[in-house]
Amino acid sequence: MSEATPDVAEARRMLKKGIVIAGVGETEQGKLPGKGSFELLADATKITLDDAGLELKDVDGLVTAFSFVESTLMHSTTFADYVGMAPGYFASIAVGGATAPLMAVQAAMAIDAGLAEVVLCVRGDNTRSGISSSGMIAMAREMSHGAFEAPYGLTTIGGYGLLAQRYMYEHDVPQEALAAVVATQSEHAALKWNAMLRDVVTIEDVMNDRWIATPFHGMDCSLVSDGSAAFIVTTADRAKSMKPKPVYITGIGEGYSHQYISEAEGVDGVRQGLGRAGRRAMEVAGVTPQDLDVAEIYDSFSFTPLIALEGFGICGKGEAGDWVLEGNAKLGSTLPMNTHGGLIRQAHLGAMHHIIEAALQLRGEADDSNRGGGNHQVPDAKLAITNGSGGILAATSALVLSSEPPSAA
Amino acid sequence: MAEESTKPAYTKPLPDLRPEGDKFWEGMREHKLLLPAFPDGTPFWYPRAYAPGTMEPVQWVESKGEGEVYTYSIHYFGPSKAYKGDPPHVVALIDLDEGVRMMTNIVKDEAPDFPSIDPEAVSIGMRVKVVFHDATDEITLPKFTPA
Repeated sequence: MSEATPDVAEARRMLKKGIVIAGVGETEQGKLPGKGSFELLADATKITLDDAGLELKDVDGLVTAFSFVESTLMHSTTFADYVGMAPGYFASIAVGGATAPLMAVQAAMAIDAGLAEVVLCVRGDNTRSGISSSGMIAMAREMSHGAFEAPYGLTTIGGYGLLAQRYMYEHDVPQEALAAVVATQSEHAALKWNAMLRDVVTIEDVMNDRWIATPFHGMDCSLVSDGSAAFIVTTADRAKSMKPKPVYITGIGEGYSHQYISEAEGVDGVRQGLGRAGRRAMEVAGVTPQDLDVAEIYDSFSFTPLIALEGFGICGKGEAGDWVLEGNAKLGSTLPMNTHGGLIRQAHLGAMHHIIEAALQLRGEADDSNRGGGNHQVPDAKLAITNGSGGILAATSALVLSSEPPSAA
Repeated sequence: MAEESTKPAYTKPLPDLRPEGDKFWEGMREHKLLLPAFPDGTPFWYPRAYAPGTMEPVQWVESKGEGEVYTYSIHYFGPSKAYKGDPPHVVALIDLDEGVRMMTNIVKDEAPDFPSIDPEAVSIGMRVKVVFHDATDEITLPKFTPA
C-alpha cells in the first residue's frame, strides 16, 4: 500500500494562522449510573464553556464522536438538538481511539476553511453503566474480521496480545517492562483528581494479577468507564478575549497500517504505520523528540505506548521497555508520560483525556491539590505530543501542542 | 443424520458469511484449505472481491496446510458466554509456507471436539499443520495442531 506524500507545508500554513485549544473540561469518571450518554456530553460542555468563559451561543461549530450506548447515524446533530444549539458546522468522527485528535484536526480544518470560528469538540459515553453484555460482545467482534478472525474467539485484548507477544519475542522485552508502564502511570493517576484508580501499584502487583490474555494481566488493560470531556478549538485572535491561556496546535499527523490484526505487516509494519502520525506531527511542528517536555501517549494496553514511543522516534526499536523500566517516563524524569494516569488508571474516553491533560500541562494547571488530587505539573512544560490509536493499532492520529505559536517555516 | 443428532450443538462464534468467502467455505467443507490469490498465483489473505491493491479478479490456490506460529495469545477469557468454564484457548497467527498469515486456534488434536492445546506447549516458530473442524453442517473451521 503506497503512502500519500505528506503535505507538510500545507499543514504548517494552516496552523500558522494560530489554531488553539482554549477551554477544556472533564467530568468525574468511573461508574456514573445516574447519567445518560447525552447528559454526560452536556455536562462536559458546560464545564468547558465555563473554563473558556463562553456561552453556548458563542459556539458555531460542533464536532462529536459516537456512542456505544445511543445508536444514531447523526451523532453531532443529535447532540446539537439535545443541548439546544444550531452550529453552522457539524461533524461526527468515528475512528475508534484515534477519534479525539482527529476531532481537533477536523475543527482546525473547519476554522481554516472559514466554516466556523469557535468549535466545541466533545466526547463522552456511559460505556460502563449503559452497555449490555451483548453490546460488549458486539464491540469485541467489531475489532475482529467477522469471517476470518471472530470464529477463533479473538478478543480485543488478545488481538493486542498477539502483537505484543511478537514484539516481546523479537526484541527480548521482559514482562516487567509492560508492568513498569502500569506502575509508572499508577503514580501519576494517584495525583489526578478524577482518576478511577488512585492507588499506587508496583511491578510485582501487576505481574501477580490474573491473566486475561497473554501477555496481559488484568492491570495491563484499560478501564471501562462512564464520563465525558470536551475542548474548544478556535483562533489565537478569538482566544485573546477568552479566559484560558491558549494552547497552540503546532503539529498534526496521521498514520495507518492495517485494519485487521491478521493483515498487519509485522511488528515493524505496525510501528512504522502508527509512527508516521507522531513523526509527521513533529515534522509539521518543526520539533524533534528531544524538544518534548511531556508525552500523553495512547495506552489502551501497557504495551501500546511502548511501540508508539519507538514509532515516534522517542526511543529506538525495542528500547522503549528498558526506557520505561529505567524510570524515564515518570514525573520529574526525562519525558513524563501519561501524567494523568491514562486509559489504564484514569478512565477510558479514547484520547480525549490525553489531549486535555496535555493542554492543562501547557497551561501550567496540572496541579489538582485543591480538588482532592496532587501536583502532577511538569515544571515549565512548553511542548507536548499526544496521540490516539483506533482498532488494534490500526489507525493513529497525533498532535503536537505548544504554549508558543508555531515557529516552523 | 443419526451422527448429527448425537453431536453437541456448536456454541462458539460462527463466521459472518459473505459472497466473497463462499469459495473458501466450499473448500473447507471438502477439507481443502483454499487461498485467494493474485493473477500470478501468489496467495493473499483474507478473501475479498479483488486482489488487494490491484483491482484484479481473485484466483484460488490450494494450500498444503503447513506453516509456523508467527505469534499467539493465550485467551483466559473468551469474547462471549460460550467460553465460560472452558480451559484457556490459544488464538494464533500462522505463517503458511505459501507465504500468507492467517488467524486460527492451536488445538491439541482432532478428537473429541478439537480441544485447545496446553498453553505451555505453544511457542513462536513452532511448526503446525491444518486440521478441519466440522463445527456445523455448513461450517468447517481451519484449526492447527503441532506438525
